[in-house]
Amino acid sequence: MRFTKHLAGALTSLVLPTCIPADALSLREHVEFLASPYLEGRLTGTTGERIAAEYLSAQLRAKGLMPLQGHESYLMPFDFVGGMSDSGSTLSLLARTSNQMFAGEAVNALSFSNNGSVTAPVVFAGYGIKTPDSSETPYDSYHGLNLEGKIAVILRYFPEDTTGDFRRELSRYSGLRFKALHAREAGAAGLIVVTGPNSPNAGKTVPMGFDTSVAGSGIVAVSADASFGESLFAGHEKSLQQIQDELDDGNPHVSGFELPGKKATISVEIEREKRIGNNVVAMLPATDGVSDEYVIVGAHYDHLGYGAGGNSLAGQDEGKAVHPGADDNASGVAVILEMIDSLAGRERDRHLVLGFWSGEELGLIGAQAFADEEVVPSENVAAYLNLDMVGYVADNSLTIQGVGSSNEWPSMIERANIRPGFDLTLANDPYLPTDAMVFYQNDVPILSFFTGAHEHYHKPSDTPEKLNYKGMDRVASLVAAITGNLLNAETPPVHVAVERSTQEGSGRSMGRVYTGTIPDYTAEVEGLMLSGVMKDGPAERAGLQEDDIIVEFAGQTVANIYDYMYALESVKIDEPVPVVILRAGERIEREIVPTVRK
Amino acid sequence: MYKATKLLLPAFLWCGVVHGCPFHLSMETRPTFLEPIILQVANQSNGVTEEHFLGRTRQLTYAGKRTGEGYFSADGRHIVFQSEREEDNPWYQIYMMDLDTGETERISPGHGKTTCSYINQANDRYVLFASTHDDPRSLELQKEEMEFRASGKERRYSWDYDPHFDIYVFDRETREYSRVTDTKGYDAEGAYSADGRMIVFSSNRSAYTEELTAEEQRLLEADPAYFADLYLMNADGSNVRRITNEPGYDGGPFFSYDGQYIVWRRFSEDGVTADVFIADSEGENQRRITSFESMSWAPFLHPTNEYIIFASNKQGFSNFELYLVDREGMKEPVRVTHTDGFDGLPVFTPDGSQLVWTTNRKGASQLFIAEWNHAAALEALEAAPARRSGSMEQDT
Repeated sequence: MRFTKHLAGALTSLVLPTCIPADALSLREHVEFLASPYLEGRLTGTTGERIAAEYLSAQLRAKGLMPLQGHESYLMPFDFVGGMSDSGSTLSLLARTSNQMFAGEAVNALSFSNNGSVTAPVVFAGYGIKTPDSSETPYDSYHGLNLEGKIAVILRYFPEDTTGDFRRELSRYSGLRFKALHAREAGAAGLIVVTGPNSPNAGKTVPMGFDTSVAGSGIVAVSADASFGESLFAGHEKSLQQIQDELDDGNPHVSGFELPGKKATISVEIEREKRIGNNVVAMLPATDGVSDEYVIVGAHYDHLGYGAGGNSLAGQDEGKAVHPGADDNASGVAVILEMIDSLAGRERDRHLVLGFWSGEELGLIGAQAFADEEVVPSENVAAYLNLDMVGYVADNSLTIQGVGSSNEWPSMIERANIRPGFDLTLANDPYLPTDAMVFYQNDVPILSFFTGAHEHYHKPSDTPEKLNYKGMDRVASLVAAITGNLLNAETPPVHVAVERSTQEGSGRSMGRVYTGTIPDYTAEVEGLMLSGVMKDGPAERAGLQEDDIIVEFAGQTVANIYDYMYALESVKIDEPVPVVILRAGERIEREIVPTVRK
Repeated sequence: MYKATKLLLPAFLWCGVVHGCPFHLSMETRPTFLEPIILQVANQSNGVTEEHFLGRTRQLTYAGKRTGEGYFSADGRHIVFQSEREEDNPWYQIYMMDLDTGETERISPGHGKTTCSYINQANDRYVLFASTHDDPRSLELQKEEMEFRASGKERRYSWDYDPHFDIYVFDRETREYSRVTDTKGYDAEGAYSADGRMIVFSSNRSAYTEELTAEEQRLLEADPAYFADLYLMNADGSNVRRITNEPGYDGGPFFSYDGQYIVWRRFSEDGVTADVFIADSEGENQRRITSFESMSWAPFLHPTNEYIIFASNKQGFSNFELYLVDREGMKEPVRVTHTDGFDGLPVFTPDGSQLVWTTNRKGASQLFIAEWNHAAALEALEAAPARRSGSMEQDT
């Protein structure tokens, strides 16, 4: 490990950029370089990512592309939090006669907390949930409480004995960031979260997790363990157990209360390791140089490093290994490099921008930084084409996602596909777990090209020799044809606003319920097709397997992933629920026991 | 014996109509006792898959709600088809695609109902299609249909044999239309001969010109297609002559690519089954090719004239599959496709190397294309058992 790190360091300081090969490299050569172990999985903010960025710059330079207007370099750096640690946050409870201090294991700063110290009277605010006023059954833990300048103590999660739609609604607004926001808006100066005895992870602190945004939430916030809960309510007429029992049926009239005479001091010291990632962006200007409009083609080039960040699907026996990310997403990057020559040699009425994003695996932060910076204002972007995992062309099939983002796409795709001749699957949903979503949310019509999830996804086994390079070459010709048509089309495609199927379905966060299913995002079936199940997860224990289609979960019909996520919101941890699957057309009923997401 | 039948079709089934798909049976009228037999037959694929005949099967068209009935120019570089792909017209319009560039131009005028196009085989400047756009009410009807669909209701498919259908020829250079039939009654399902001088088509015009008995009048109201027969005319509409005169719906005629033969399908008098027929180029020497006891339609000859491909619901009412039969019908048909749903309206490219057909295998109906294995087709036909009945039957 040390050896490779050392070598990579040597590569950046001495060898780059002059010795990077950049003459007419093949798709395979691009992928082999980017996925080589020396780049250590291209984790954003690491040396491996930086080497990849220099490699891409060298290719762009060799092909004669320019940086964006006003930029000297192809590299467009952005800040993000690359890691965080709690360097000794403390919590003190000050009663009339005592002063009790909690530290170490008993208290944990919340990842989005501001740093600082607050001393104030304590108010108990139930579960700290506020649902929108438009809700059918509004719920407001802060109703009637005065929190101005005080410290709110709240329970983690949401009332445990609620059911159905009401439970779903409460669960939706129970995220700690939401709760912190409402506490802050109610005037609270600090927030303490306690996990009640009736809840999963009872009495435990909230693990610090990882929040890539640099800014804090504007409030000092910690979680504290059962010992704090006990002390807080010592001498009170009810124990925390009794208090939670009363709250758990979700009765909105069970209110919080002040705790006269009790004050707390919260001191939070989080060290946020600020790091820098780099997008690599270049442009081919319109032929006559004059245009207000841009077509952007992009692919993320970062990956998971050694897989420590939680998105890895490596088995436990695989240890800490480089995640090469050949398909994800050296494949998409290589296809764009391959397309450049054909696009450079043609007339262009619009500017073409090529974007290699970093930070995708950490939550689309590179593409988001690019959009936020408004170097290319989104109203001037005619369309954005995205490639993410295009190396597994099999049976001549290719999926194009996000087609619902404009009505013009199907005929443009039909036309461009005549020569490459893929058997295409067009998927409409523009809310995708990839960089294209950032552009779509800025009202840009998008398409995202994808050859499907597979067994090597997010694993150390995603290596270059498994890719279909001939297939990728055909993907390049299809994307180049669509790009060419976009560059010269008389009118650009018109953005269509597609309603999102769920309010909080932000793709990656699945709440606290864990089932260990791996959805197949490409399958166009009625139901949720699985591309696999997590080892030893609830789904595997229930006997579910790859290619099963979940059609019912907890008594609710599942037509798509949103229905599934919606159904998940209503189930209880560790309680068996029925699941109905179709396996090779046969309807099979099983029981699954969801666990708590760790 | 004629049984009144409903022209109903489950909404999920595409049926571009006409080059021969008049659904005379509704789901309700299928006798349920047939179900087990149908399923049993459906499972008899003998381990042969469609990859045996078809290579690199892929979707060719993607735009619009649905697309179907693709036919080639003689050089194979253009394809004409019908598609619902414009926001202000709820019905099919006719489009022609350049298979080198993928560019598409609309052939029909953009209003009215259109169907059944064909490219002149001697000059791809001329394209024929059937249309109701000269019906003074066509725009009004279009608006009504738009409003009906906007209301969220879905019509069960029915083809109405609108008597305003006439055949038009579009000149792609002058952008002008010439109307080549002008007769009351349904004139459609036209196709050019190899030299581009003749058009064969289907028409129920006789029902509007001849004196009908009371029983025939009732029939016309219940099933106007019953009166449809085949006609030949010169490409400019002159010299019209009737070439079939049998009870039951004759339609969906095509010339062979060399112009030597005409193939078509004829429905039984009760409209329940259909079979494939062939005749020589002037309609003479008519003979029946299949006795397949199902709805067999949309026949099209391979350019070698060795065999005919057609669609049939032998496997179950709504499961249309493609079949091959030798040109003279000496053998039982050979099954080509094995995919649930609708596979129909098959057409070979003029060089015989590829097959285009209409299928809803991936959702809405669209055109699909695949490489055609001619050698495998000949081999399978050779191995097929002799036709079970009616092989030498002369039907006229």
